[in-house]
Amino acid sequence: MDSGLSCVAWLGVLLILGLPLLGLVPIFGAGLQASAWQLLWADPQVMPALKLTLFSASLSTILALLLACALVFLFYPAKTWQRLQQQAPIFLAIPHAAFAIGLVFLLAPSGWLVRVVSPVFAWTAPPTGLITTQDPYALSLSLALLLKETWFLLWVLTGLINQQWLMKQSLVAQTLGYTRWQAGWQILFPQLLKPLAWPLLAVFAYGLSVVDMSLILGPSTPPTLAVLAWQWFADPDPSQQLKAQSLALLLIGLLVLGASCAYSLYKLLHTLLARPKGRRKRAYGTFIFKPLVKYLVTLPFWLSLSLLVLWSLADGWFFPQILPANLGLNAWQKAELETLLLTLFIASCSILISLPLALIWLEWGNKHQAYLYLPLIIPALPFTAAQYQIALLLNLDGSLLAVIWSHLAWVLPYMLLVLSGAYQSLDARYLLTAKTLGYKTWQACLYIKWPLLLRPILAACAVGFAVSVAQYLPTLFVGGGRIETISTEAVSLSSGGNRSTLAIQAVLQTLLPLLGFILASGLSRWYARRHPGLN
Amino acid sequence: MPFKSLSLVGLVLVSSVSLTTHAAEDWSKIEQAAKGQTVYFNAWGGGEAINQYIDWAAEQAKQRYAITVKHVKITDAAEVVKRIQTEQQAGRTSDGSVDLIWVNGENFSALKREQLLYGPWAEQLPNWVNVDTTKPVQQDFSESTDGLEAPWGTAQLTFIADRSKLPTPPDSAAALLVFAKQNPGRVSYPKPPSFHGTTFLKQLLLELNPEASVLGKPVEAEAFAKLTQPLWAYLDELHSVAWQQGKSFPASDAEMHQKLADGELLISLSFNPNEAASLIASKRLPETAYSFGFKKGTIGNVHFLAIPFNAKAKEAAQVFANFLLSPEAQAHKADLKTWGDPSVLLASKLPNQALNPSVLPTDVPTLAEPHASWVEALEKEWIKRYGS
Amino acid sequence: MLQVQQLSIQQTSQTLIQNLSFKVQPGEILTLMGASGVGKSTLLAWMIGALPAAFTATGQCLLNQQRIDILPTEQRRVGILFQDDLLFPHLSVGANLAFALPATIKELDRQQRIDTALEQAGLVGFAKRDPNSLSGGQRARVSVLRALLAEPQALLLDEPFSRLDAKLRQQFRSFVFAQITQMKIPAVLVTHDLADAPNKDCIIQL
Repeated sequence: MDSGLSCVAWLGVLLILGLPLLGLVPIFGAGLQASAWQLLWADPQVMPALKLTLFSASLSTILALLLACALVFLFYPAKTWQRLQQQAPIFLAIPHAAFAIGLVFLLAPSGWLVRVVSPVFAWTAPPTGLITTQDPYALSLSLALLLKETWFLLWVLTGLINQQWLMKQSLVAQTLGYTRWQAGWQILFPQLLKPLAWPLLAVFAYGLSVVDMSLILGPSTPPTLAVLAWQWFADPDPSQQLKAQSLALLLIGLLVLGASCAYSLYKLLHTLLARPKGRRKRAYGTFIFKPLVKYLVTLPFWLSLSLLVLWSLADGWFFPQILPANLGLNAWQKAELETLLLTLFIASCSILISLPLALIWLEWGNKHQAYLYLPLIIPALPFTAAQYQIALLLNLDGSLLAVIWSHLAWVLPYMLLVLSGAYQSLDARYLLTAKTLGYKTWQACLYIKWPLLLRPILAACAVGFAVSVAQYLPTLFVGGGRIETISTEAVSLSSGGNRSTLAIQAVLQTLLPLLGFILASGLSRWYARRHPGLN
Repeated sequence: MPFKSLSLVGLVLVSSVSLTTHAAEDWSKIEQAAKGQTVYFNAWGGGEAINQYIDWAAEQAKQRYAITVKHVKITDAAEVVKRIQTEQQAGRTSDGSVDLIWVNGENFSALKREQLLYGPWAEQLPNWVNVDTTKPVQQDFSESTDGLEAPWGTAQLTFIADRSKLPTPPDSAAALLVFAKQNPGRVSYPKPPSFHGTTFLKQLLLELNPEASVLGKPVEAEAFAKLTQPLWAYLDELHSVAWQQGKSFPASDAEMHQKLADGELLISLSFNPNEAASLIASKRLPETAYSFGFKKGTIGNVHFLAIPFNAKAKEAAQVFANFLLSPEAQAHKADLKTWGDPSVLLASKLPNQALNPSVLPTDVPTLAEPHASWVEALEKEWIKRYGS
Repeated sequence: MLQVQQLSIQQTSQTLIQNLSFKVQPGEILTLMGASGVGKSTLLAWMIGALPAAFTATGQCLLNQQRIDILPTEQRRVGILFQDDLLFPHLSVGANLAFALPATIKELDRQQRIDTALEQAGLVGFAKRDPNSLSGGQRARVSVLRALLAEPQALLLDEPFSRLDAKLRQQFRSFVFAQITQMKIPAVLVTHDLADAPNKDCIIQL
């Protein structure tokens, strides 16, 4: 049985990830040529884009980590924490691109904030000196990534922090005279880093490879590396393609570099903490700091969302109007129910396949799983092209089955990401106890381990669902353009730049994953109430 | 160039005479085969007016020819080119995913170069006789179409502004620069190598070198250096007073329109002479928006329909393309209330249409595109100078 | 002296503890006994300022004539030992102890204090060890040392002996009690084993 399940795990992973990765070998082979690298480095955009990309990806990852932990240390498990938890599904469900669009509505020189203050300064036109979005240092892009990823990390942290021994350690530190804040950073933080390692790497990879958000909020001279790769991969000119292939390799290299830097930092932190000086600090300024942090992570989302909804209803809205002149439902009437249902179906199938596979993989698969996260960092275009090639060879292109398969390459890694931290930190003695009672491993998992992990499992399902809903390129390619989901619809309609359409698509793209997240957290709370002893 | 147009007309006449009887027979065979086929029409899906027009055309095709047309909404034709390339690499020589593609410029030349197109078929269409061959319908960015794609509509670089903020528009590149200096931070253009950005560069190049015939020939280093020198000098000046000091550029024409609506920019540009009208209709621009061109003319070109080599419904794709070239479909397309895309047919074949003030005035001359090789050279040099 | 005055603890409509008052003198150990679920641990949680949100409490807690129930946990100077040793797994044994030492004790002194403490507990040379490499009894002793090195003014013991076997338990109990007597601080012990109580006259049945 055990070896059988191990085979299932390997077979599944090979089918989902191995096949397309195999298809990528020639692409990366070409990218290794010296001539390709010469072409790449000769491009004047690459060096500045490299600095920019590294800066925005590392800054947003580090700050998101600090902010997510700060939220835990400041608010867990008080009322504010519970209120944050209730809002989390909404913020998680907003697709990155939709959030970026909302932020532009909010922050741009002609955006809502400027409109609100324009009467004060008697501005009749947007100020010209103000560069708030698409700034040359990618600060607005970093801010957007930071806010969005903070909630992703918080979602992962919620699963970890519920383990009571962690909070008891914090309590012990407090009885030793340390504030919660100090206890958090000195005692909890170093311990949380380990289970957060993979999610953090995913956040960093996302920051390196994100295209849509960079296009909306990022600078353009030069753009980030991912945008360059995207443009070059889409270029019919073979020499551009070659550059794109090397760039894809460079991005993977940067990820490895980032991971090793992070590991050194982790080691450094432990050395620093190894000789406690015993300095107790008083908690100063929390009355300002707490609301500040709370509103920093919630207000931008609520404002962006409100602006998205307003724009979706706006019938003409020009500077310096604070509210649209007219409201109407015209734009909404074109939304199609059929695509919504199809999207729902594909996403549900994706998680129904990924979940058992992820659980089997975690129990019987390989513990070293770095390569599983490759799809999160490889530029989507060549990976998707490889998937399409396989679908063509198998004569499955344009079929629902193939589209679902293509989504799994992203859904499975993200689900593993959310699950693995909680999975590995679960007390191994539960499983051992069940085995000593005479149960086989799979039975012990089915009856004991997996029910114990129900909450992280639900969290992973919600994330997987959202990931599937957001897939654009694989749906378009593997579906041969014949399968329409809300994402293909949203991206193609958005290319026209009509803000009302853009806003509607963004709201639609938020609604479906939101249902998933609400369902997951609702079930999770219900389960926790029924089993109060469960962590 | 009266001689050239005469010879072209003659050519068309000769070919159409010799083909008439034969062609009618062949065409009815094609129509027969097309019945019941499904055409997956891969076309940019970002314009609601365009999407509605395609829906209308699909409905007509269903009623008249029993053809099902499915609009596959895409963001960029380059994605489709990549998809077709992938299909070829995987050995899919029939039953491809694309039956008809809306394309022009470098995407067409890539498809043609890699022999990924079916044909020639375009000039055998019955409605080809209606086509105004004095327009560049057989040259796609100086690349000969060779009957591998059928013209669908024409385009001309058009500037858009708001009359309440800009009553008298600049009428030349030089005037634009003066205007930009008077209104610092309010003028920009889409970042090359985006389609519209590169077109703006070509527009400037043509206007700053009015006599240079070498622009119609493949680019050479020496000529390039000489002819583009005034262009870079112009851009250096423009950027110093441009939106965000020329350190950042809008990504696309759509973003330009949005910035015009937001008041961040005072001038936007488009390749559709009717764009302003449809933007007003969809309340994306105020009603005071209008179009204008430069006195000496603006660049114009044609967009096309092509059939990939591995298309499944080649017959139905031709029948549908033929319908799209019919006077009825072309007139409906040119109608401002639907799409407003100018026709490729002879004016005599079309009903008269009232002019709308938001549309580009007809007295703006059309300038021919420089040779396609200039595009890449311009884009490269631009990125080297301003891209980072 | 540690004093609790007129303490009542409610959970929604149910009253767990009603009007409880007691005093504990320095060096004295008060034992609180009672079946599971009567609110022993909740009482200790209240005393250190970590009462779960589901409970409400009225009453006062005084330490050396000062009200501490209005102070945050870290300012109360009340140490606690739980059933689990809760050693910080990312720190060595020595670092766990150094974490508890006040900052006023500097560099070399810190090392010395840690070594002395470990010596007292029969754990010479354990400073560099990882807590996970220690036996249950050793870990329990380290956790006591840690609580005491922070120089608390009172110590609460939440069934700290229940996980140890009989022989270890005996040893560990006398170790803890000796430390408390030596430090001359009041202590409260929660247990349901009468044998744990050091002074049979000083027992409150809940």
